[in-house]
Amino acid sequence: MTEVIGTKNLHKTYGKREKFEALRGVDLSIKKGESVAIIGKSGSGKSTLMHILALLDTPTKGLVSIYGENATKLRKNKLNHIRGDQFGFVFQQFFMNSNDSVLNNVILPLKIAGVGKRERRKRALEALKTVELIDKAKNKGNDLSGGQKQRVCIARAIVNNPDIIFADEPTGNLDSATGATIEKLLFGLNKDKGITLIVVTHDADIAKKCDRQIYISDGKVVNKPDENLTEKKVEES
Amino acid sequence: MSMKFNDIISTANSNLMRNKGRTLLTVLAIFIGSFTIILNVAINTGVNSFIDKQVESVGGEGYLDVAPAAMISQMEAMGSSEPQEYLPEENSSAVQSISEETIKKTEEIPGVTSVDPFRMISAEYITSSNTDKRFKLDIQGMGTDKIHLDIAEGRSPSADNPESEIALLPNFATALGFSSDADAIGKTITLAIKNRATGKLSNIEATVVGIQAPSVISMGRTWISQHLHEEVFKMMNVGVPAEIANLTMALGVDFDPEIASEDEVKQALEEIDLIGLSVADEIGMVKTFFDIILIVFSIFGGIALLAASIGIINTLFMSVQERTREIGLMKAMGLSSAQVFLSFSFEAISLGFWGSALGIGVSILVGSAANSIFHGPGMFLEDFPTFNLVEFTFQNCAIIALIIMFIAFLAGTLPARRAAKQNPIDALRYE
Repeated sequence: MTEVIGTKNLHKTYGKREKFEALRGVDLSIKKGESVAIIGKSGSGKSTLMHILALLDTPTKGLVSIYGENATKLRKNKLNHIRGDQFGFVFQQFFMNSNDSVLNNVILPLKIAGVGKRERRKRALEALKTVELIDKAKNKGNDLSGGQKQRVCIARAIVNNPDIIFADEPTGNLDSATGATIEKLLFGLNKDKGITLIVVTHDADIAKKCDRQIYISDGKVVNKPDENLTEKKVEES
Repeated sequence: MSMKFNDIISTANSNLMRNKGRTLLTVLAIFIGSFTIILNVAINTGVNSFIDKQVESVGGEGYLDVAPAAMISQMEAMGSSEPQEYLPEENSSAVQSISEETIKKTEEIPGVTSVDPFRMISAEYITSSNTDKRFKLDIQGMGTDKIHLDIAEGRSPSADNPESEIALLPNFATALGFSSDADAIGKTITLAIKNRATGKLSNIEATVVGIQAPSVISMGRTWISQHLHEEVFKMMNVGVPAEIANLTMALGVDFDPEIASEDEVKQALEEIDLIGLSVADEIGMVKTFFDIILIVFSIFGGIALLAASIGIINTLFMSVQERTREIGLMKAMGLSSAQVFLSFSFEAISLGFWGSALGIGVSILVGSAANSIFHGPGMFLEDFPTFNLVEFTFQNCAIIALIIMFIAFLAGTLPARRAAKQNPIDALRYE
């Protein structure tokens, strides 16, 4: 299988005087069509890693390759294009415009991509059909439940037919029942459409459902599950 | 892959509509500035076009009113309370008159075709055989045929023919007992003239040849033929010593503009201590008065616009603050910084557009209301039906709107830059 994203010796340091090393040499390779969970507790560097993988941030040192190209050498415009055309984003906090209609929220990425009015409407309705919210197209974001909001966000993430979906704690704000629906939806997209799924989470349950788990601790990839993390999970359940 | 231009514009507009109250207040601030400036420009256009029309209709090319330059400097010295030392060579009591010698020198200026000493005349009253009523008036001879009066009926009194002719002011015909303006033409009226030596009144008759239209040039003066002017002067000065009667205070100078330009003649006059004013110069004095008022109001308008610009900056900064997350999300989805900048700039330009559109709309309403009010009975434009105090041209409105939109754009660059510089990660983390 071909690699879609890979990193070599990835470092990320924040701050100028008091340096904080968020990533300390991460090597990984994500193949096309895989579902990968990046697991770690807060402060482990998993969010920083996701931002760099999603080309939203640049590493201090090391290499990021996207479709075999060196991403650190790509121009900003090209990075914008890759994110707009090939990536889909799902966030824990949804980030949808609650005052605008569901349809307009889903249309947004296509609008940014410069797709014509009729075409983008058609594709947004298709995406809403996939998440089974076609009857809510005209509703305001405010009228929706949390689970419905996240489904709208998934529709927004898939409307541009992406190769990769980045999901940052996609079920973090949802109860377990609606969380399960969202998980099913995301893994369904992974299986049926072959979309590479990268889930960032501290939730071991959703991580288990992925093809592969990458554990991050103190800015490094670790082989074993973090002890503290599993203990904590046990306590919670 | 880049957002379509009309999508950027419609996004900007829908963002403005999200906070209608704030947008409206900002537009209102721009409106105040644009309204003031547009109205000012419109008044300026109105006054200018009126003056141009007047100058055009009056003509006066190749004619100068000439007075001693010392008169002007004396007028300037009037405000001074400092004691000024007497200098015999200044000849202070005589400076106001023009000597025979100076008149000769004036005639010798290249291009000058004729020089007429201007002799002050006055009439006690005007009356006619149709009425017992007597009316006061100012009379003035047609010193040159280069000035065209604005005549509503009939023609101008002659400058050359040895006839006693008069062009009445509006409303005089009916006051003097004629049934209409047209009825008065060709009829005879009587002027009463007071002798300067004896104080005795005597009558002189004149034929009405025309009725004047209201204009700046006539300014309440009744114009008579040059022949009648000279007759009146003679009647006034019977028994008055010639050196007093013939004291020349001013000259009417005709020149051929093809031989010497107006400026050249003025220059030559200056060398012999005279000052020449063309008709356009005299009307221009009226304009200066308007200009000063308009400059003051334009400054007010400018200050209002400056305040409005700060309002735009403030509004957009608030908007950037509120939409931090949304901007971050859109940038994550591939929107470029340049397009974020463009979108916010369009919001600013849009504010400028609506502010100036409102300003133009309201000032056109106010302006046409003012025009009809000032043309109403008893108002100062009653006698000037062709003079619109406020005059709008499409070009002026468009230019002002563009300038205001540009100012709004400049004000918007600060918040737009802040929005464009936002890092999507920071924006998405922002709580």
